[in-house]
Amino acid sequence: MKIGAFIPELLRHLFKKPATVDYPFQKLEVPRDFRGSPYLRPELCIVCRACERDCPAEAIEITATNEAEKRFRMVIHNDRCIHCAQCVDSCPTDAMQMDTRFEISDYDRHNLKMEWEYVRAVVKPKSEPKTS
Amino acid sequence: MKFQIPIGPQHPALKEPISLRMTVEGEIIRDADLRLGYNHRGLEKLAEQKTWIQNIYLTERICGICSHSHTTCYVQGVEKLMEIEPPKRGQYIRYLVSELERVHSHLLWLGVAGHEAGFDSFFMYTWRDREIVMDILETISGNRVHYGINTIGGVRRDLDEQQVKHILDSLAILRERSEYYQHLGTNEPSFVARLAGVGYLSREDAIALCAVGPTVRASGVPMDVRKDDPYGIYGEVPFEVCTADTCDVLGRTVVRIKELFQCYNIIEYLLKNLPSGPVAVRAPRRAKPNEVVSRYEAPRGENIHYIKSNGTDKPERLKVRAPTLGNYAATIKMLKNGFIADVPLIFAAIDPCICCAERAVALVDARSGQERIISMNALKKLSRQVSAGNARKREAEWPL
Ligand code: SF4
Ligand code: SF4
Repeated sequence: MKIGAFIPELLRHLFKKPATVDYPFQKLEVPRDFRGSPYLRPELCIVCRACERDCPAEAIEITATNEAEKRFRMVIHNDRCIHCAQCVDSCPTDAMQMDTRFEISDYDRHNLKMEWEYVRAVVKPKSEPKTS
Repeated sequence: MKFQIPIGPQHPALKEPISLRMTVEGEIIRDADLRLGYNHRGLEKLAEQKTWIQNIYLTERICGICSHSHTTCYVQGVEKLMEIEPPKRGQYIRYLVSELERVHSHLLWLGVAGHEAGFDSFFMYTWRDREIVMDILETISGNRVHYGINTIGGVRRDLDEQQVKHILDSLAILRERSEYYQHLGTNEPSFVARLAGVGYLSREDAIALCAVGPTVRASGVPMDVRKDDPYGIYGEVPFEVCTADTCDVLGRTVVRIKELFQCYNIIEYLLKNLPSGPVAVRAPRRAKPNEVVSRYEAPRGENIHYIKSNGTDKPERLKVRAPTLGNYAATIKMLKNGFIADVPLIFAAIDPCICCAERAVALVDARSGQERIISMNALKKLSRQVSAGNARKREAEWPL
């Protein structure tokens, strides 16, 4: 036992680089699989509604704007989204994707809403939509 | 003269909303009472309205620090209900994240212990080193806190060569740092003396009060779900259950430091023996009517999920017993006859997670009985017990 066993470690750290970065001026890179906000590639969406059904936060809303023309509207309520990427996993056609933005705060939650209006795509799903 | 002192639900010394009511005589706590329910979020009821898949993300949010523990416990249960078995590689990755989470939780706890003991530089260093394991978790899963790696039937992300190498490299640094912390104990008498003899919980009490996790292991009971009832891959992974027999906060610290080294060994084993193949199997959307109890050794102790299905795509009932709830009764015991100044330390030593534990309003009966009138002789006896504790303190030694 000796008193002040921690002192050498403390002194050594006086000459080390800080462990943190200077955040707003210097940003760390996000990892490869980072889950930012979900976005839609409307040209691929076959409106199977798997994403709407599996979203745990009920953040995805799909409504038909014109049944005859097969026009649909998708709203992603980013203010409710918990960034779990389940919608990406559930989507059978890769229409749902995650971006890598992380500075998404806003003063008004309605600004976080994103919406798309599109005609239903005709693409072959790479896997069956997960239904039973 | 007896006083009742309330601590919490909002108190600078306790970081989470829980109310402690202590009957004190001078500096010594004679009785303690816990009041819960300040953080009740109605998660179990909510789970009944969500599908099996949606509930993964709900259970993940029971707790921030053992987020993976809760999802794994839940997913293990659901897999049993659906009668599917995740592929080997998926299981290896799942329990790899489990062990990484244990490392991060124990490092966090070490920092908190240092902070509560008044050793703040220790707190800074352990938390800086905890960033290494947080970075590993981030590269594996994409995010730092809610990894979202589990899915029913396996895991959602695979590991590649580069990631395996990154983890092994970082592990070497972590091991070296942990060795330093272990060594520090022997050389920093003030730290050891602060922890020794505080929050005494005898082996018999620990068993009788159903303590779990490092709390019970620090009282010399080798109880660990990973060994007693191996789930997943733990039947095939070599590791030891770490115990200590000092029965105090020092013992709990030692158990956690020893466990860190076991974790590093397990992680290394898992990475070196990672099987190839798929990481997940397709899960059905419904589960046949049945019920299951799933057990999991979280960093804080045994976590239990009870899940009942009724043939639909939603659970009929999900009950969560978080490890902190199992430790409350023992905490009351530890607080008794201790000093007020030791409350944060004793409380921190069970590594409480209040928001984990606040499920259905199930109160732990903390009262030992009615008000007692203590005779002069009994008081003397009690004070002798306390000074006996002090003798333990003076001769305290770092047991590692
Ligand atoms: S990321 Fe999760 S919460 Fe957000 S929209 Fe997709 S499924 Fe819903
Ligand atoms: S799961 Fe994919 S294809 Fe189906 S509705 Fe959602 S975005 Fe469109």
